[in-house]
Amino acid sequence: MYKFKEIQTIPPAKQLVDIVLSKTQRKTPTVVHPGFKITRIRAFYMRKVKFCQTTFNEKFTKMLEEFPKIDDIHPFYADLCNVLYDRDHYKLALGQVNATKKIVDNIAKDYVKMMKFADSLYKCKMLKRAAMGRMCTSVKKLTGSMSYLEEVRQHLGRLPAINPATRTLILTGYPNVGKSSFMNIVTQANVDVQPYAFTTKSLFVGHLDHNYVKWQVIDTPGILDHPLEDRNTIEMTAITALAHLPAAVLFFVDISEMCGYPIPIQVALFHSIKPLFRNRPLLIILNKTDLRKLSELSPEDRALIDSMADADHGGAAVQFFETSCASKDGVDAALTKGCELLLDRRVEQKVKSGKADSLRNRLHVTNMTAPVNRPPCIPSSVAQQKGGDGNTAEQEQHEKLERERMEELGGAGVYSVDLWRRALLEDTSWKYDVVPEIMDGHNVIDFVDPDIDKKLEMLEREEAMLMAETSLGDDEEVLKKWKHTQGFLDELHSKMRQRRIERKLAKSRNGNPVTRKKMKKGSEVEKELNEKGLDGAKVRGRSVSKGRKDRDSSILGKRKRDATENGEDQGRAESAARMRSVSRMKGLPTEKAANDVEKVRRKRMKLREKDGRKGEGDKWVPDWKPKHLYSGKRGIGKTDRR
Amino acid sequence: MRKKKAREPKKIAKTARKLRGIKAKLFTKKRYAEKATMKKTIKAHQEKDAKTKDGDEVKPGAVPAYLLDREQTRRTKVLSNMIKQKRKEKAGKWQVPIPKVKAMTEDEMFKILRSGKRKKKAWKRVVNKISFVGDNFTRKPPKYERYIRPAALRMKKAHVTHPELKMTFCLDIVSVKKNPQSALYTTLGVMTKGTIIEVNVSELGLVTQTGKVIWAKYAQVTNNPDMDGCVNAILLV
Repeated sequence: MYKFKEIQTIPPAKQLVDIVLSKTQRKTPTVVHPGFKITRIRAFYMRKVKFCQTTFNEKFTKMLEEFPKIDDIHPFYADLCNVLYDRDHYKLALGQVNATKKIVDNIAKDYVKMMKFADSLYKCKMLKRAAMGRMCTSVKKLTGSMSYLEEVRQHLGRLPAINPATRTLILTGYPNVGKSSFMNIVTQANVDVQPYAFTTKSLFVGHLDHNYVKWQVIDTPGILDHPLEDRNTIEMTAITALAHLPAAVLFFVDISEMCGYPIPIQVALFHSIKPLFRNRPLLIILNKTDLRKLSELSPEDRALIDSMADADHGGAAVQFFETSCASKDGVDAALTKGCELLLDRRVEQKVKSGKADSLRNRLHVTNMTAPVNRPPCIPSSVAQQKGGDGNTAEQEQHEKLERERMEELGGAGVYSVDLWRRALLEDTSWKYDVVPEIMDGHNVIDFVDPDIDKKLEMLEREEAMLMAETSLGDDEEVLKKWKHTQGFLDELHSKMRQRRIERKLAKSRNGNPVTRKKMKKGSEVEKELNEKGLDGAKVRGRSVSKGRKDRDSSILGKRKRDATENGEDQGRAESAARMRSVSRMKGLPTEKAANDVEKVRRKRMKLREKDGRKGEGDKWVPDWKPKHLYSGKRGIGKTDRR
Repeated sequence: MRKKKAREPKKIAKTARKLRGIKAKLFTKKRYAEKATMKKTIKAHQEKDAKTKDGDEVKPGAVPAYLLDREQTRRTKVLSNMIKQKRKEKAGKWQVPIPKVKAMTEDEMFKILRSGKRKKKAWKRVVNKISFVGDNFTRKPPKYERYIRPAALRMKKAHVTHPELKMTFCLDIVSVKKNPQSALYTTLGVMTKGTIIEVNVSELGLVTQTGKVIWAKYAQVTNNPDMDGCVNAILLV
């Protein structure tokens, strides 16, 4: 329901000012010097002003949020608030708080603006002082409404937690007719009962359980019979409860007249507030029967009481109950009847409103009754298993439990668990063999390999196969071959080592120019190769033939172009044609390969040309957006000068 | 309740001992004020009971018994009411509550606003003080705008105190009549301490001797508006 208890305390206006100012002092920086940059000084003081404003704002916003808005809460509470605190006064107080909040905001806004133009620390400081002073003055003007709101808060927190929607019984009647004693009997509530009128000055709530649900009983202050305008606050609380809560009403009549009000007056009250009982279950409790019975009444009074029954009351008949709070006679009967009537009414209303239908659609109530004899259900497979082996002696003698074994062998503390008993090994006799943990200074477990047998088997098989293959024959021949190869390799390695040393030596001359390697002549290469026992002429071949031909032509002089009939010249022409084709292939084996290379080259060229590069080595990165052409403002017609 | 009241002084003493810093200052100030009022009331109560002597002192310039009832008049000093009034008016015409003001330098008054591409030009000025700007004022184009009055420093209302009624009203400013610093400030509408402003007093319902309603009256600014963020003035009557 509503959380009236959780509204925070409202300090008096003066205290609020102190709180906010000290908070500002605590939570904002405190050190500033005139030597600081002016922007820093300004920011320092602006922060103070803004902080003060936000703190005030937070406090006020919280206040406005927490207090219930009279238009939004349940009409019962709204009316109660109106009766107890005066709706206009309440709204005015909250309105003032809201107005002050806005004023504080505006002050802060103005002064922050002004501070932007302050040019010295002193000026900033004075402006800050003025701003805070004005804020505090406007808050101090709230003194009245703040103290009023604090009172309201305290009272609201102490209001009984009445839930206007639940099942409720309301007790009403003249003062001192026994409403509170009835309440004390029926519920756990401990309401003050005194032998004078207006003992109960406000609403009280008690709770009781009936029919497995919780019921709310509201004890109201007594009502006197006079017009609504003349009623005081205490009576009005009772009236609001009667007017707004959809509850069963228990109207109390003191037939002994011990309360000081004769029966005619009490009946007159009933008739005057009758409109409030409309559409509500009504019970008339004739109380204090231990002092005077109904039958002992004079006929006039009897007639008056009977007149209450004739009251036009929404069709339902008015119920009468004779009770006595002293002897507790008839109290339960009245209570039960009241509860029943109200429950019926509520159910009826729910059915009418269609709420029940939506619920009923989702429900299904079965009519099945449980069979009397319900044997345990055992699945057939289980039954079979049991039937097959169940009879044998083995099954019946179940295996000994570890606990039983323990009991047999000396009980707890003496018996030690046999961990190897269930070990699954190839040979059961191995079970209790002692396994050393350390052997020859090694941890045995480090060398345990579960697949060792398999690996060993594999190895053995491989060895056998190799042995079978060793039909290599003579060992001597093999050895010879090996030696020959070894000698060859040794020679090669020594040469490599030598070269490495030579190179190292050459390198060690730091920074000296390295002479260019002389190209070897073809003849030298041939000679070297021949020395190594390879065919040098094969490498030299073409150059030899060419050289020879050149030598031949030199004899003929420069006449080779025109000399067409010359057989030798013809041969030269043939060879030239061949040479040209070779150059087109660029020293590549096939024409296709040459074409591919050419294609790649052209592609590369194309890219380079597109970028406008000079060559492969041209890595220049252009500045596409030079800063000097793109920076600066471009206002009205100033394209040329930036 | 009775016990609570009895314990109160001990509680107060305890807090007084505990508090430090600003809180202690505030507390002692409050306590001092409370004690002062308490003492005063006690004294008032005591005086009420005590019998005081009647003033039996002999007044200076004793007179014989037969002259006691006569009122003395000093003719030389008596002036006719008319002359008195006139003199007062004449003197009062140019008399203002704040006759002298501190002179202000130009750089206190204005801030130089540099302009131009390289911020080389320095002919613009920003008015650093609170100023009054009329409703129908429009700013000149930036090229011709020498003096800038920032919107944040413009004021339309003044808190004007009526010296005889001893009441303060928040009134509209109509114009700035005279700034004692210089004529330029008067034209700019700058309000500093001692400036004479014209305020709209139609709300006060003042009437002239002939029965006409007074719309506007002069008032003198009594505070530094740029320090306080508001204009306080005293009505010149």
